Amino acid sequence: MAEKGQVNIDHLDGVVRLREEHEKVVKDCESRVLHWKKVSGDYEALNERLQTLPDQLTYDIMVPFGPLAFMPGKLVHTNEITALLGDNWFAKCSAKQAQKIVNHRMKYVKSELEDLTKTMKNFEARVGFAKNLETMTANKSDYVDIREEAGNNDTAVSKGKQRIAHKPNSKPKLDAVLDLREDEENEGEGRDEESRKGILTEEELWARLDELEKLEELQDEQDRLSDNADMNGEDTSSLSSEEEKDGDAATPVNGLSLKPSWTSVPHSKASTSIDRKEEEDDEEEEGSSLPTIFFSHTVEPKKVRINTGKNTTLKFSERKEQKEHSKRKKKNGHNNGHSHHELHKITTPADIYRLFVDVKNGELIPRKSILKSRSRENSVCSDTSESSAADFEERRMIGRSFSHDEATHSDTSDGITEEDSPTAIPLHPANRFEAFSGTVVEKDPMPSAVPHLTIVPPALPTILERKQEEVAPDAPPPEQAPKRVSKFKAARLQQK
Amino acid sequence: MAEAIQKKLNAELEKYTQMQKDVRKSMSARQKLETQLTENNIVKEEMDLLDSTNTVYKLIGPVLVKQDLDEAKATVTKRLEYINGEIQRYETLLKDMEKKSEQHREVLSSLQQEFQRAQGLAVGKV
Repeated sequence: MAEKGQVNIDHLDGVVRLREEHEKVVKDCESRVLHWKKVSGDYEALNERLQTLPDQLTYDIMVPFGPLAFMPGKLVHTNEITALLGDNWFAKCSAKQAQKIVNHRMKYVKSELEDLTKTMKNFEARVGFAKNLETMTANKSDYVDIREEAGNNDTAVSKGKQRIAHKPNSKPKLDAVLDLREDEENEGEGRDEESRKGILTEEELWARLDELEKLEELQDEQDRLSDNADMNGEDTSSLSSEEEKDGDAATPVNGLSLKPSWTSVPHSKASTSIDRKEEEDDEEEEGSSLPTIFFSHTVEPKKVRINTGKNTTLKFSERKEQKEHSKRKKKNGHNNGHSHHELHKITTPADIYRLFVDVKNGELIPRKSILKSRSRENSVCSDTSESSAADFEERRMIGRSFSHDEATHSDTSDGITEEDSPTAIPLHPANRFEAFSGTVVEKDPMPSAVPHLTIVPPALPTILERKQEEVAPDAPPPEQAPKRVSKFKAARLQQK
Repeated sequence: MAEAIQKKLNAELEKYTQMQKDVRKSMSARQKLETQLTENNIVKEEMDLLDSTNTVYKLIGPVLVKQDLDEAKATVTKRLEYINGEIQRYETLLKDMEKKSEQHREVLSSLQQEFQRAQGLAVGKV
């Protein structure tokens, strides 16, 4: 820290000097501007004189004789002007021609003046920035450094091209993934404080997750031509979900840390993620003088959208899940254990059912149907009704206490997928529910799922939890609200 | 040992300051050329505004010498080209000088380090 303080002081000196230099330039510009203004005034006077001079044939004037004396005399040939053109060149011309020359020179002077004023403004702005930088380095407050690793441009570009904003909501993805991750984290590390710590240590995971997401997203995009709309919808939904989360002041870093993983999802999310990251970094920043946000665009994970219930879809990112899974294993090796992973691993449709477990009153009761949206009590796949919207915040709150995932859930199976859950999204649910026809995932009561997940080891983030109170007891049917999955994708997944 | 290094250091420093002076001279010469360039441009444009009825004079010393407008225009154009060429020359010269001064700077800094080390050793020994 001392070093960093030292660095800060050095920066401060440098910044002060920078500011001073800028100010010098500004002063210089000011003096030049004054000079040119004077010149301009002189030319104006000359113009007037030339205008009036030919009025009379001769004028009676006092002719200067040397530096101190004057002599009365006459001014003759009032229309004949010998003009200095520059560089020791003279031209004899009439008054009007001289006026033309003068006008031409005025243009030049004006252009110079404009340039100078522009430069002055520029440097004044720079001075302002330098001042800000100064206060920033001095105080280390209110400012956050945002750094983004270059790269992944392809993903971004392709994403931009392919995406068409048909759907407003892409939250579900985010939430789902976050929930899943949260669950894993929580399970591995305990709740509350631990989850916080987990988040801190998760930073790298998130970064990795983001990258993986991006990759998967790319692939996903390619696969799903017809899903463009979905993606867009999901993105917007995720964005809105993020916004919702933003409103949550209490969200601990946990919630924030989740956001970064979504940076890749929609570019629109980027800003929110950045904010989140900021907060994260603020919390996490230890030695650096400035809180630094390491922002990275990530590839959206390959996700399978499964339509479950009314309006919920799960987006499941297989690869990411696997990777996250392995990451988590490494990180929380001792905590999670293998059972965790086994439970989360989905290789067959049966696995899905395994994950969709009802709240157990002490036991996990497998559900008969994971398609049906349950009653409020134990619904794993909550629908996107108003209640879920209302509950969202609640769940988030509760979820927070358990894991940091809460914030991000919205319908998002995506979020879930990212987090931890089963590696493979069962296609069956997708097929069963509906071929994705463009339904919008509206809400994701993932948060409620999160707590469940934490409680129940094999939890995939439940898709939408109606009530957060239910959280504890509810078994988390990990299948997140399946996101809408295109037929093709569903078929493909099935075939896998 | 330290003294030898110190001498070397001083010598290098002198060379470096000399280089810096040269660089500054070239810089100022170039700037002068720049102003002349703009001036001649303006002269050229103003001559275009005139027609052959006006007489053009050139100031050579204390004498105003009559010139032909077309001749004057040609002269000014030639002068412009000459100035441009000079500017290019000075540019290359300046670059070379910059490179050399950089090298000198590096040598200087390395010598300084050596000197400091030697000094440290000397102090240690003492």
